[in-house]
Amino acid sequence: MNILIVEDEKSLSNEIVSFLRSEGYLCEQVFSGEEASEKIAINLYDFILLDLGLPDYNGLDLITEARKMGIETAFIIITARGAVEDKVKGLDMGADDYLAKPFALVELSSRIQAVARRKFKIPNQDINIGDFVIELQCRIITFEGKEVLLTKKEYDLLQYLVINRNKVLTRYQLYEHIWGNILDDQYDSNFIDVHIKNVRKKMNEFAPTPWIETVRGIGYRVRLEQ
Amino acid sequence: MARLRVKLALFNLLSKIVFTGLFLIFMPYLVERINLIQEDNNLIQKREQVLSLISKIGIEPFMSSDSGNVFGNYNIFKEEFTSLERVNLEKDENFIEITSRLIEGDKITFRVLNYSFKVDGNMYLLEVGRSLTSINQTEKNIKKVIWLFLVLIILITFLTDLYYTGWLLRPLNKITKKLKGISDPSIFDKLPVRTTTTDFMQLDSTLIELMVHIDDLFQKEKEITVNISHELLTPISVIRGNLENLLLMKDIEPTIAEKIEESLKMLYRLQSLVNSLLLIARLESRQYLREESFSVNELLSEIISEIYPIAEDAGIFIKYDFAQDLTFTRANKPLVFSMFYNVMNNAVKNNKAGGNITIKSFQSGKKFIVTITDTGRGMSMAHMSNLFSRFKTRVEYEGAGTGIGLAIAKSIADFHGIEILVESEVNKGTSFSFRLSGNS
Repeated sequence: MNILIVEDEKSLSNEIVSFLRSEGYLCEQVFSGEEASEKIAINLYDFILLDLGLPDYNGLDLITEARKMGIETAFIIITARGAVEDKVKGLDMGADDYLAKPFALVELSSRIQAVARRKFKIPNQDINIGDFVIELQCRIITFEGKEVLLTKKEYDLLQYLVINRNKVLTRYQLYEHIWGNILDDQYDSNFIDVHIKNVRKKMNEFAPTPWIETVRGIGYRVRLEQ
Repeated sequence: MARLRVKLALFNLLSKIVFTGLFLIFMPYLVERINLIQEDNNLIQKREQVLSLISKIGIEPFMSSDSGNVFGNYNIFKEEFTSLERVNLEKDENFIEITSRLIEGDKITFRVLNYSFKVDGNMYLLEVGRSLTSINQTEKNIKKVIWLFLVLIILITFLTDLYYTGWLLRPLNKITKKLKGISDPSIFDKLPVRTTTTDFMQLDSTLIELMVHIDDLFQKEKEITVNISHELLTPISVIRGNLENLLLMKDIEPTIAEKIEESLKMLYRLQSLVNSLLLIARLESRQYLREESFSVNELLSEIISEIYPIAEDAGIFIKYDFAQDLTFTRANKPLVFSMFYNVMNNAVKNNKAGGNITIKSFQSGKKFIVTITDTGRGMSMAHMSNLFSRFKTRVEYEGAGTGIGLAIAKSIADFHGIEILVESEVNKGTSFSFRLSGNS
């Protein structure tokens, strides 16, 4: 998939690009609305990451322009504004998702995957981990056909770790993914630890889960051989 | 405590009463004096009439045979008398006195004029008297009229004073009414109050200027908070992306990874602080929508199920008792969620193992009340007083986030017009009650 990154802050743009490239995406960067407008008119992108706070352009206009030209690209809005109205407006104008700065790069990639599945009708494939199967479509996890009864939050946590498998995720990244950042105050509590503990306990009743790793001092990782 | 116009009118009334009181104290003396002078003049006039009569017709007709040497005459009510008597006096008499006389068995007090004169070598004493009861009666009548007049005057002036001061102070009332119940300078009515009193004009225009100035400053402060927050979020994003990319590098040294995570942790704190300040600034400038309706009990249940695993892990038992439910209208659900969540989460963090958290919801009069009570370490009075201030809680609750959670809860409550009351006892626990408007 090829992605256009429209972000005037060069260093942030570079970080996003370096991460997405490591994830196997093709990336192009532009640093102004003018450039973006040209590129969008000429090239075909699967995704456009769009910063709304461009110095020369109202980011939302870029979406309107693109939609007028019949371009079906998926837009993900990035903004430091984070206000509800911006979000609503952006989604109304045809953006596919919305991320408030600062966001975790792993969050960005999981949003891209989610939008891709939805927008480009990529069927959700079940993921096998040992003898467990994560059925993304039904949002359940089964062991030899029997459902492991996880709460919604526990399932979200596990799915996020599995989608970002083989990467260490910090507690805050996990927290932010599940609770968003409106509950700002709580990140250094042991929420994630408790939930992981419960997930392990419930799954261990079926089979051991050595693939959920605690990475000392950092966070958690699901290790799967691909 | 009283209104200005009432105070003014009361003062007027009081001063009038004092002055008329003084007048009334001296009035009997004055009236008496005036009355006596008048009476004495009357007596003297009578004397002159009698004397002129004598000089005209002589003394004989008075000194008739049957009465000997005395002539007396009085009217039927014994109010006045005139007497003429031949006497032997060593010297002339001419004075007015108060004395009693026996007339037909009645002892009556008279004011009597005594006057001696000689006719044909004989000395006569003329007495002209008027009874004191009739003098007093006149006096009483005068007093009555004065009393009536004064009371009437006081009453009328009191009423006109009250009305006039009321009318005069009406612009002031309007100004105070404008000030009353103002929670934000932006909603102050900036239309000048109509008045011809320059003092009020000045007061009003000064207030308006002040409000505009304060509003301006508030607006600037909010803008600054929002702008600074935005400016901070971009560099945080860059550093965060940088560090997270580093952490994702393969074969990274565990010690380096730990250092990176430590830095990230600090960065998360910074991020959460900036976001919290933004949240509060936006709440204060009312940038959130309030257009959802939801069941309070369902929301509380949702939060309880989220908190439950953490509480269970810490050995804390959550009880709840929902007596009534409320459909909370014109609200922002995620914000109200955060408000209850922050307080409940606080209750878990500050509790002891084996402790309880009790959540109740019930209708009380016109208010719907939610209480969240813990059996934790409680708070001192000093701590309670700045419970909702930003960053203060950190001092007492180690590791309890940035300490801005309760400040956020308070801002959200204010935004929704929810009152929060806190009761706490050290080592016993803390109870938060939320008073929501509306009926279940």
